[in-house]
Amino acid sequence: MQHKKTVAGVLAALALALTLPGLALAHFQMIYTPEIALDKGGEVDMRLVFTHPFEAGHSMDMGAPEQFFMVYQKGGEGEPQKTDLKAGLAPIVWKSLGNTGKAYTFKQKLRSPGDYVFALVPAPYLEPEEGAYMQQITKLVLNVGGIPGNWDKPLGLPAEIVPLAKPYGLYTGNVFVGQVLSEGKPVPNAEIEVEYLNHAANMATNSFDKKAAVAAPHDCFITQAIKADANGVFVYAMPKAGWWGFAAMGVGPVKEFQGKAMSQDALIWVKAVDMK
Amino acid sequence: MRLKMKMVLAIAAMVLALPAAAQAHTALCTCFDNADGTITCEGGFSDGSSASGVSLIVKDGGGKVIEQGAMDKTSKYTFKKPEGAYFVVFEAGEGHKIEIDGKKILE
Repeated sequence: MQHKKTVAGVLAALALALTLPGLALAHFQMIYTPEIALDKGGEVDMRLVFTHPFEAGHSMDMGAPEQFFMVYQKGGEGEPQKTDLKAGLAPIVWKSLGNTGKAYTFKQKLRSPGDYVFALVPAPYLEPEEGAYMQQITKLVLNVGGIPGNWDKPLGLPAEIVPLAKPYGLYTGNVFVGQVLSEGKPVPNAEIEVEYLNHAANMATNSFDKKAAVAAPHDCFITQAIKADANGVFVYAMPKAGWWGFAAMGVGPVKEFQGKAMSQDALIWVKAVDMK
Repeated sequence: MRLKMKMVLAIAAMVLALPAAAQAHTALCTCFDNADGTITCEGGFSDGSSASGVSLIVKDGGGKVIEQGAMDKTSKYTFKKPEGAYFVVFEAGEGHKIEIDGKKILE
């Protein structure tokens, strides 16, 4: 009887999960800007949005980020320069296809050639259905002028993905290779979720376009899953041009926040560009 | 004979020590107008190697050399903005020469 009750409960929960549209999808913190490699410096326009990038149906409210900064470096031997960017964040409301969510906009003038590694440590987000927190520490490596710098260097974040392939020089079909680190150490067998930004982000209207770039042949293609090897290294070949998000789940050292479980994840965004 | 041999070896050593020689990298250089009457150029290579010591030549519209110098240890070179037309030449050896028209150097 007890057993039956449990089964019924599980089935009910499952049915609920299947009917709730956003629940089964992966959350992805985004640092979005249209271009990843710029010929020249200039003003870079960015959006910080917490969403499900493949479906773009639902965005979550972001709290005030704990950290937002960039580390600039020109050349392999150049001095890394860290700049705090939190003061430049301005709150906006981002329109997804089915709701709106609190997000941030940010503008930064970049001049010198080199790598600009942006890092965001967002406020922990309470997932109401799960009663647990998540904190997705997110990176984006932008290049100006083609001179590389620190794209392959860890920033010393609690959890992060360090690229092993230059993240701003990837053709469509290339593999992106990354290493998952927790407190600077590789995370063996880390679980990584992969999503494609399937609805163009419209910077003028702070919204996702209704039109999807691709249709998933089956739900299991919406969020792909890969695993890292014993050294925390993972490989993924990008089949389509555009932005790809990689999220290593629960790899960070902090497992609890305000008495509830927390998943501290490491994310990176890279852009694949067609070879023409 | 000995002296000749030594010279050959010295030249070979020099060639091997030249950073820009026979590598698959591309030379890169960007210049900005600092809006204070000076121009700063920043150089480098696509493999991340330094452009420190690479020569930078400033020429007037007629091709006459106005100024010549070398990039500093942060691969930068700053010079007084010339009156009228000018060109900047980033000269990092064979196949690594970049010419930038002053008209295209903006803030």
